[in-house]
Amino acid sequence: MTATEPREGRIPDPIDLDAAEEARLRTAAGIAPAVATAAGAEYAGFEMVGIPDRPPQTERERELFTVDEGEMLVNMGPQHPSTHGVMRLLLKVRSEVVTDLDVVLGYLHRGIEKLCENATYTTVLTYVDPMDYLSSMHNEHAPALAFEKLYGIEAPPRAQYIRALVVELNRVFSHGLMMGFLALDMGGITPILYGFINRDEIVEMLASISGQRMLFNFFRVGGVNWDVNDEFLSRLGTWHSKQLRSIRDNEALLTENEIFRARTQKMGIISREQAIQLGVTGPNLRASGVPFDVRKAHPYAPYAELEFDVITQQAGDVYARYIQRIDELKQSMHLIEQIMDKMPHGPVQAQVPGIIRPRPGRAYAAIESPRGLYSVYAISDGGPNPYRFRMRDPSLISLQVMPTLMPGHLIADTMAIMASLDPVMGGVDK
Amino acid sequence: MDLDLLLGIGRFILSTTLILLLTIPTAFIVIQMELKIIASMNLRIGPNRVGPMGAFQSTIHGFKVLAKEDQIPDKADRATFTIAPWMVFMAAAMSMLVIPFAPGAIAADFNIGIVYFFAIIGLSVVGLLVAGWASYNKYSLLGGLRSAAQMVSYEIPLTLSVVGAVVLAGTLNFTDLIHWQRDHGWLVLWQFVGWGIFYIASLAEINRTPFDMVEADSEIVAGPFTEYSGMRFGFFFFAEYVALFIMSAIMVSLFFGGWLAPWPFPAELGGFLGTIYGIFWFFLKTYFFIFVAIWMRATLPRVRVDQLMGMAWKVLLPLALVNLFVTAIAVVALNL
Amino acid sequence: MRLLTERFADAAPTLWTDEDTVEITIPGAGAADALRTLRDDPELDFWMLADAAAVDYGPTERFEVVYHLYSDRHPAWLRVRATVSRADPRLPTITQLWSGAGFHEREMFDMMGIVFEGNRDLRRLYMSPDYRSFPQRKDFLLPDDAADSPAAGVNPLERPETWDLTRFAALGPLNPLADAGAPTDASAVVADPAGEQPEPSPVGAGQTDASRSRPR
Repeated sequence: MTATEPREGRIPDPIDLDAAEEARLRTAAGIAPAVATAAGAEYAGFEMVGIPDRPPQTERERELFTVDEGEMLVNMGPQHPSTHGVMRLLLKVRSEVVTDLDVVLGYLHRGIEKLCENATYTTVLTYVDPMDYLSSMHNEHAPALAFEKLYGIEAPPRAQYIRALVVELNRVFSHGLMMGFLALDMGGITPILYGFINRDEIVEMLASISGQRMLFNFFRVGGVNWDVNDEFLSRLGTWHSKQLRSIRDNEALLTENEIFRARTQKMGIISREQAIQLGVTGPNLRASGVPFDVRKAHPYAPYAELEFDVITQQAGDVYARYIQRIDELKQSMHLIEQIMDKMPHGPVQAQVPGIIRPRPGRAYAAIESPRGLYSVYAISDGGPNPYRFRMRDPSLISLQVMPTLMPGHLIADTMAIMASLDPVMGGVDK
Repeated sequence: MDLDLLLGIGRFILSTTLILLLTIPTAFIVIQMELKIIASMNLRIGPNRVGPMGAFQSTIHGFKVLAKEDQIPDKADRATFTIAPWMVFMAAAMSMLVIPFAPGAIAADFNIGIVYFFAIIGLSVVGLLVAGWASYNKYSLLGGLRSAAQMVSYEIPLTLSVVGAVVLAGTLNFTDLIHWQRDHGWLVLWQFVGWGIFYIASLAEINRTPFDMVEADSEIVAGPFTEYSGMRFGFFFFAEYVALFIMSAIMVSLFFGGWLAPWPFPAELGGFLGTIYGIFWFFLKTYFFIFVAIWMRATLPRVRVDQLMGMAWKVLLPLALVNLFVTAIAVVALNL
Repeated sequence: MRLLTERFADAAPTLWTDEDTVEITIPGAGAADALRTLRDDPELDFWMLADAAAVDYGPTERFEVVYHLYSDRHPAWLRVRATVSRADPRLPTITQLWSGAGFHEREMFDMMGIVFEGNRDLRRLYMSPDYRSFPQRKDFLLPDDAADSPAAGVNPLERPETWDLTRFAALGPLNPLADAGAPTDASAVVADPAGEQPEPSPVGAGQTDASRSRPR
C-alpha cells in the first residue's frame, strides 16, 4: 500500500509548488511576502488554517471568537451533507450543545444585481431565474410586475391567471420539497424522493408550456410567453386527480411519526415578536402566528379575485413550520382549481416592443414566494437597462434567525431548524 | 480418543473457516438487499447495470474498495488506525461462531454460547473508539465517543432482555435453547416484552437507523470512519452489515425458534435432510428480520443522540428489569 | 399621506405617491428616527420592514438608502428614501428597531460601502472579508483589486518564467515520448501552409522537449 512509501520519492505537493511559485513571483515583482497563516498546523501535508483564521473585525465576531473553557469552534463547512446549497456555519459548541452560531455566506454569490444593470429588461427576467432556483416562477414574477409598473402597463387578465397558475404550481412543488429536505436532514431518506416524484410531475407540466424543467424562462414584461396548450392541460388534469392522495401519502410518513415529532416539536421556536423583529416572512412567519400574506396584504392580480384564507399556526416550532407548509400546499391546490375555473380568454402578452425603455422612475413589487416576501425594487433611467435592480430575497433574511434561535439546541437540531426555515442558497447569495 | 480429538479439531477448523468465508458473501447479500429494497421503497429502481437486475453491485463494491488508495492521515496513529477495522470485523466474525444455523451445524456449540456472544459483540465498541481516536480528527473523535456511548448503553438492555428467556429455558446453550423452543413454543410468545427490548436494543447496538447518529449526520458525515478509505473502510462497512445479519440471526435463534419450522410437524428433522430443512427455515427467518431492519431504515428518520440515550436508560433498562423480575417470579411460582 | 405630512413637517421631506406606494425622501442622518416614528406611532404603525436597499446614483452623485415598510392600516407600501453623501457614506443603523435589518445593512456595506453606525456586526456578507472594493458602485472596476497581485499588469504567457519548465525537475523526466526534434506533421501543415518555418521561441534557458511542443 502507498502508505509505506518513503517520503523522499513522493510527488511534490501541488500546494507546496504553488506556495514556492507564489513566493518566487512575489520576490521577482518586489512585493512583500505573504503573511504566514497563524496557527498553521501541519496536517496530512497541508497547512491547516485554524478557525478563526483572522482577528475579529466586529464586536459580534469578537464575541463569537472568544472561546470559553470547554467550548470549541466547529465548522460546518460550505459542503454540507445536507442540502440547501453552500453555506458555512461556524458553531461554538460545548459538547454537543450549540452556544453560538455564525452564518458565513457568499459562496454562491454571482452578482446578479450588478449583472442585471447591463441587461435589457427582458434579459433580466432570465437572469433572476437561478436565484431561488426552486421557485423560479416567483423569481420572475416580481421583476415582471415591477417592470410593468415602470412601463405603465398591466398584463392582460388571461396572462395574470396563467401567472397565478404556474406560480401556485411552483409553490406546490417547492413546499413538497421542503418536506423532503426536512426529513432528509433528519435521516429519513424516503420523503425526499417522494417530493421529487411530485416535483417531476409538476415540472413536466411546466416544461410543456415553458420549455424548461427548472429555470423556466416564462414570464415577460407584459404577460407570459406562451399560452397553455393541450399537453399542459392534460397533464394538469392527471396530476390534479391524484395529487391529494399523493400528498396524503407523502405526509403520512412524517406527520404522525413519533421520531419525527420528537425531533421537531418544541424545537427552534420563533415567537411572534421575534419573527417580526427579525424580518422573517412567509410560511415561517405565519407558523409563528402572524397572519401576513402578501397575496392578501397587497393583492397582485389576480389574487384579489380568488378566495383563500391566510393560514397560521400558533406553535412557531419546526413542526409548526412543517405543518404550515403542508396546509399551504393544500391551499395552493384549491387556488389552482379556482384559477382553472375562472381563467378568462384573451391574449397572454401585452404589446410591448422588443427592448422596452420605460420612463425614468421607481417601482416596487412584492410577491409571496414559498420562502417569504420576495420583492423587487427597480429604478429606471429611461434606457434599455434598469438603472438599479434590487431583489430582496426572503431566504437571506430568514437566515438571520439562526444565531438567535440556535443557542441551547444540539448540533443535530441545527440541521432540522435550518431545513424548516427552508433557505435556498441561490436566493441567499444572489 | 485420538481420532475423536483429531476429528473434533478438524471439524472445528473446517467450520470456523467456513464461517469466516461465509461473512463476506453474507455482507454482499445484505448490502445488495438494502440497495434494492430501499430503492423500491423510494420508488426508484436501484442498481440495475451490474449483473442480472444489478445483483452483482455489492460484490463489485467489495472489489472496488480493494482497489482504492489507502490513505492514512499524517498525524494519525498508524498502528491503532490499522488495528481498528480489524477489531470491529473480528468481533463480527467471531460472534458468527455461535450462530445455530441448523441442528448440529454450529461452529462452536459452547455451553455458555449466549454469554460468549454478548461478550464478543461488545468488542466492536472498542474498534469504533479506537478508530475515532486514531484518526487525529476532532470530528472522528466526537463521533467515536458518541458511538461508544450509544453502544455501551444499549448493551445493558440488550443483555438483560435475554436473561428472561434464559431463565425460562434454563440454559445458556443455543442448541438447548432451540430444543426448549421446540418443546414449549417459540420464546417470543413467552417473552414478548423481552423480544421488543431486544429488537430495539439490537438495532441501536449495530448503529442502524433510526439509531445511526454515529455514521450519518454527525458534524461531518461518517463520524469515526471519516478518515478511512479503501479496504479499511470496507472492513467497517462490511462489519456493519455482518453485524446486522448476526443480530437478526441471534434474535431468530433466541426468540423465533432458530432453525425450527413454524409448525410443529415436524419442527425439525434429523440427518442431512434435517440440516437442509433447518438451514432453510433459519435463513428465511433471519432474512425476514433483515428485511424489516432495512424497511425501518428506508422509512424512519433518525433519533437524536440525547433522545437515544434517554430512551436506553430511562425506558429500556427499567423495562428489561421489570421483565426479568416478572419472569423470575413466574418461573418460581409456577415451577416452570 | 396626511399623517406623514404632519409628522415629518419639521424634517421637510419630499413626498410622492403612486397607486400603491407612498414615498418620502429624507436626509440620511434622520433615517433611524424617522423609521422609529413610523414604527411606533400608533396611527402609522409600520410594523414590518420589507426591504432595505442602497442605490448609487453615479460617481459624482449621492447614495440613497431606500426602506420599504408595510402596515396593515395603510393600503400602500411606504418607501423611505434616505439620501447619503457619497463622500461620507454613513447612516445610523436601524438594527435596534428591526434586528432583521442586520443582513440588509451588511449587504449594503458590502456592496456599496455605506457604513451603518451602531451596527454591531458590520462586516462583509457576500465578498470575502479581505476584499477591498464595493462591487455595486457605479465606478466599480474589477482590476482594482488585482492591482497588487503578483501578476499585476503582466500577461503570464509573456513572461519567460512561465515557460521555464525546469522548475518541475523534481517530478522526474518529462514525457519521454515527446519527439525531441521536428514538430509533428499536423502542426507543420496547419501552422505554415506557405512553407515558412515558425519563429524560434524566446525562451532562454531550459530547452526541454516539452518546450518545443507548446503552441506558437
